Amino acid sequence: MAYEPWESGEPTPWTPVVRPLNKCKLAVVTTSGVHHRSQPPFDMQDSEGDPTFREIERATIGNDYQITHDYYDHSDAEKDLNIVLPLDRLHELQQEGVIGELAERHYSFMGHIDGRHIATLIASSARQVAKKLRQDGVDVVLLTPA
Amino acid sequence: MGLIQREIEKIGIPTIGVSIVREFTEKVQPPRTVFVKWPFGHPLGEPGNIRQQRAVILEAFKALYSITAPGEIVDLPFRWRRHDYESYEEPSIAAD
Repeated sequence: MAYEPWESGEPTPWTPVVRPLNKCKLAVVTTSGVHHRSQPPFDMQDSEGDPTFREIERATIGNDYQITHDYYDHSDAEKDLNIVLPLDRLHELQQEGVIGELAERHYSFMGHIDGRHIATLIASSARQVAKKLRQDGVDVVLLTPA
Repeated sequence: MGLIQREIEKIGIPTIGVSIVREFTEKVQPPRTVFVKWPFGHPLGEPGNIRQQRAVILEAFKALYSITAPGEIVDLPFRWRRHDYESYEEPSIAAD
């Protein structure tokens, strides 16, 4: 049976927000299946999903992105990436001084993970991304689904 | 998404998530969430609707500071398409 942390009685993790947002470095983690065209697409053959992740470089993602995710209609997200990964909006908010700094690197998953891959997602990918975010000096993370 | 959010929070980075499926969020219990009752694939709204996209982001930032109980979900009052984002007043976010 898949590991289901919400049934393990493990309390909801909590880290207090101590800094004002205009002093924070912010990164986005999305589960919308976005990746750069040059990156390998997520595996859609496995019915339990693909628990790996892609690093998204803000400087290069622009109009060069692709969405590999067969479980939602991403035709609108193909017209405007901001509805799933709002890097343009966040860049504007950085320029306006609302957020201190927008990270260069963001992280993307495909959200449809099931069965045996749930444990991989948590124990491997999610923890790896958490460590990378810490190495990147990120203070706050915004998560967007599909 | 909530499972990933929990791991990031656990390592010591505060998180705020946007949810479009309230039942999943209730089950997984990520630390902080804003919920919009919108179609799949549109967590921040419609293509090209900058005011709408900003509204969700700013409300998420607001909730990042206002939520004090782990697992809390803030239901955003925005209606899909029929909301008047032009008259939406953008909140000011915690600054020093």
